[in-house]
Amino acid sequence: MELDMVKYLAKLAKLEFTDEELEQAVKDMTSIIEIMDTIKDIDITYDPYKDNHNVYLEDLRPDEAMPSLATDKLLQNAVNQENCFVVPKVVE
Amino acid sequence: MVELTVKSLREKLDKKEVSARELTQAYLDRIESVDKKVESYITVTPEAALSAADKAQEKINAGEASSLCGIPLAIKDNICTEGVKTTCASRMLENFVPPYNATVMDKLENEGIVMLGKTSMDEFAMGGSTQTSAFAKTKNPYDLTRVPGGSSGGSAAAVGADLCAAALGSDTGGSIRQPAAFCGVTGIKPTYGRVSRYGLVAFASSLDQIGPVARSAEDCGIILNAISGYDFHDGTSSRLPVDDYTSKIGMSMKGVKIAVVSEFFAEGVDENVRKSVLAAVDTYKAMGAEIIEASMPSLKYAIAAYYLIASAEASSNLSRYDGIKFGHRADVGGSYNDLIVASRSEGFGDEVKRRILLGNYALSSGYYDAYYGKAMGLKQKIREEYADIFTKCDLIITPTAPSVAYGINENISDPKKMYQADFCTVTVNIASLPALSTTCGYDENGMPIGMSIVGKMWDETTIIGAADAFEKQFDRIGASL
Repeated sequence: MELDMVKYLAKLAKLEFTDEELEQAVKDMTSIIEIMDTIKDIDITYDPYKDNHNVYLEDLRPDEAMPSLATDKLLQNAVNQENCFVVPKVVE
Repeated sequence: MVELTVKSLREKLDKKEVSARELTQAYLDRIESVDKKVESYITVTPEAALSAADKAQEKINAGEASSLCGIPLAIKDNICTEGVKTTCASRMLENFVPPYNATVMDKLENEGIVMLGKTSMDEFAMGGSTQTSAFAKTKNPYDLTRVPGGSSGGSAAAVGADLCAAALGSDTGGSIRQPAAFCGVTGIKPTYGRVSRYGLVAFASSLDQIGPVARSAEDCGIILNAISGYDFHDGTSSRLPVDDYTSKIGMSMKGVKIAVVSEFFAEGVDENVRKSVLAAVDTYKAMGAEIIEASMPSLKYAIAAYYLIASAEASSNLSRYDGIKFGHRADVGGSYNDLIVASRSEGFGDEVKRRILLGNYALSSGYYDAYYGKAMGLKQKIREEYADIFTKCDLIITPTAPSVAYGINENISDPKKMYQADFCTVTVNIASLPALSTTCGYDENGMPIGMSIVGKMWDETTIIGAADAFEKQFDRIGASL
């Protein structure tokens, strides 16, 4: 795997790496992709209609409003909160 | 006393030979003296445990004790426990205190269990050694220089080292069975959908399943009885009725058809493991089971299919960690994006980052069909091959891992080697099947060897009955610490 591809994947994943870490990631990913490449050329296709045995569409729960967790409980794990989730300014 | 099964402890508690508080204190004392060496727990909760023990004792005294009332259990640290830190062994969740219980915790608390604490694991359950834990790199109780397996290594080591009566783990690609094998205990991954995943920190949602780790198959059945069933909060939990998973304890193996799938015993499996598992198959034959041979041609692709599907799902599931709502928040200025990138880069460890990169690769434009699409096709092929084998048999026996527990510094720096070691376990998750690992032998160094018994969907009862039949004639050698 090329360095540019790892940089691209890191950008998609919202991760940043030092140059040294990037070098290691290229080595690791190249080695891992070798295993994944074993299935690239198999003649097989996925049929999504065969694969829903755990979905019970005839028995979905009713669309009713239910009580949810209290605001203070939802906020208790946010590092930065003032009775709401605080984010950096997103609109210039 | 701490080495007894859940079933034996139940009798002792009911006969008042020991109180729930005394039993809990015995485990807490042992954790205090032994866990410095094993490092199986991330968090121990002594005060809450003793308080739960006192409540359990009231139920016992009133003659209202259910099977797990007053039994001290350990819980893997990716299962949400209201008010008790749930770290997933990650810096990302170092200070995360869940505002709610996982459904399995509600069920166990209703039973009156005593939670001793939260056990270590590979970070976000990604790994097979528990050495990617940010907080407690657990050791194998049979040899402290070796790994306990993973990712539920803390749970398996805690059971193997008599630091709890039993534990809960979770299994995405072998994470209950492989550490159970390495630590000489019994663990079952139930059928996908049998146990609610609500409150289990998500790794790969189509594969994850919670299950027990214990000293016997019967104990696994007792715990499975308590945690199984449909849950309103988990749309993938099954509405099928819950069996009594101990109902086939004492079953005869006469006429039970067991398949041996040749590919699971081929190259890559150590000779001592192969011999030991095949000797167990012979034991079943001597008990009257009928042994048949079978084949699974797609097994050679299983590792690739599993890692692509699991990593693709992980990359999506872990995108929720943005440093804002919960989890590590980097102390940086700059934009919204800068905050997210810095929080994730500081919070996740190397293996988690690798899996996220792999998942993004498998799902990215231009690669999706070649990797994720093929992996999903293989998933169906593997399911079909299992279905075909199960038209001819009731159970399948395989090795749980290709080797016994390895040294702490072996394999860790070679992700490819680590991934390939999972080939015995991952197909069961891919096919949503139930499977149990129990000890079937020891190598020349006294390290436990595990065999896996795989069953048909929803047939945990037969697996547990068959495992119990083997365990009753097998002399388990405990770890000495």
